[in-house]
Amino acid sequence: MLARLLAAALTLLLVLPASVALASTTEGEEEEFNPEHDFEIGEWIPIHLGPLDLSVNKAVAYLILGSIVTMALGIALMRIKVRAPDEVGRRQALGEIVYEVAQTQVAEQGLPHKAIGRWFPYVASLMLFIWVINMLGFIPLPLSNETFEVFGVELPTLAVYAATSSISVTLSLAFMTFVFTHVEGIRHNGPVKYFKSWIPDVPKALYPLIVPLEILGQFMRLISLSVRLYANMLAGHMLILTFIGLIFVIGNLAVAAFAIPFATAFYLFEVVIVVSIQAFIFAALSAIYIGSAIEPGH
Amino acid sequence: MFTLLAQEAASNVDAGKAIALALGIGLGSLGAGIGIGNIFGSMIQAVARQPELRGELTGIQWLGFALTEAVVFYGLIGGLLAYVLV
Repeated sequence: MLARLLAAALTLLLVLPASVALASTTEGEEEEFNPEHDFEIGEWIPIHLGPLDLSVNKAVAYLILGSIVTMALGIALMRIKVRAPDEVGRRQALGEIVYEVAQTQVAEQGLPHKAIGRWFPYVASLMLFIWVINMLGFIPLPLSNETFEVFGVELPTLAVYAATSSISVTLSLAFMTFVFTHVEGIRHNGPVKYFKSWIPDVPKALYPLIVPLEILGQFMRLISLSVRLYANMLAGHMLILTFIGLIFVIGNLAVAAFAIPFATAFYLFEVVIVVSIQAFIFAALSAIYIGSAIEPGH
Repeated sequence: MFTLLAQEAASNVDAGKAIALALGIGLGSLGAGIGIGNIFGSMIQAVARQPELRGELTGIQWLGFALTEAVVFYGLIGGLLAYVLV
């Protein structure tokens, strides 16, 4: 039964392209497919302060939505107490899992004991926030630059876009960690001892070679932290878009038979693994960097 | 399909750049593939020898996985930069 259905569907798929090709030639106005097009952020509410461009665009809208959802999640999972204290509900259990991962896997791995009280809130909210904006990137939302008409009403099309697939977002997140690292390092060790701790134990003759490399290494952290998250989300979205787009580039509906399963597989891979791993890794590396600045010997 | 792609490439001046980008990323992912295989292989061995350490090792495993995987994306960004700028 199933096999017969599949065979029928396949023949239909192979017959359909002819009619689709005919239809497309008669309409004659096809936009060229370009996966980069979906990553243009546009300008929705222009705000220009001198040379500063503070306009609200697609990425900003996603960030605002992301922070609202993060706050709602944090309050709903970890603050509101509905049940009696000895009874643990499913909601509270979920909140405790998130909290435990943030504490045992992120904060305690990287931060020294004396700094956990101060920096646990930062790394935990970093993890939750990045997880939420990554996740929002895989839910189709009516936030896009394109519109379509339904009964004369212009509605924005559903689109997937992650704010973290814009380099400015991830770079500013990484820059916060970068600044906090050095502020904490100087505050706990004093400037001289802290900057001396950058240089490893090597013979003095090697200093001209090692010192520039170590200084460069501190800035490479900034780049690696931001580009890792940015490129992961960009590549994930582009892969899915390209597979779906192959149907339109080649112009044959039969391509959908393999493009849709592949796109679905990549989508699931991104949602199940990459989204959480990237949020975890960003928070964990932030904790490790801040921790190693506070106690340079370790 | 392939003739169509070939026509598309022939009509495009950027074909060489596209091939370079694809080759670069393909070769780059070779290294990351080996690295990720190493990490998970070692993880399986470690857990097989000492199953009680699984909890502690999982965090390190994912840290290593993400650090290795990111190498491909540095290649991708470098390739894209070269593709756009050159």
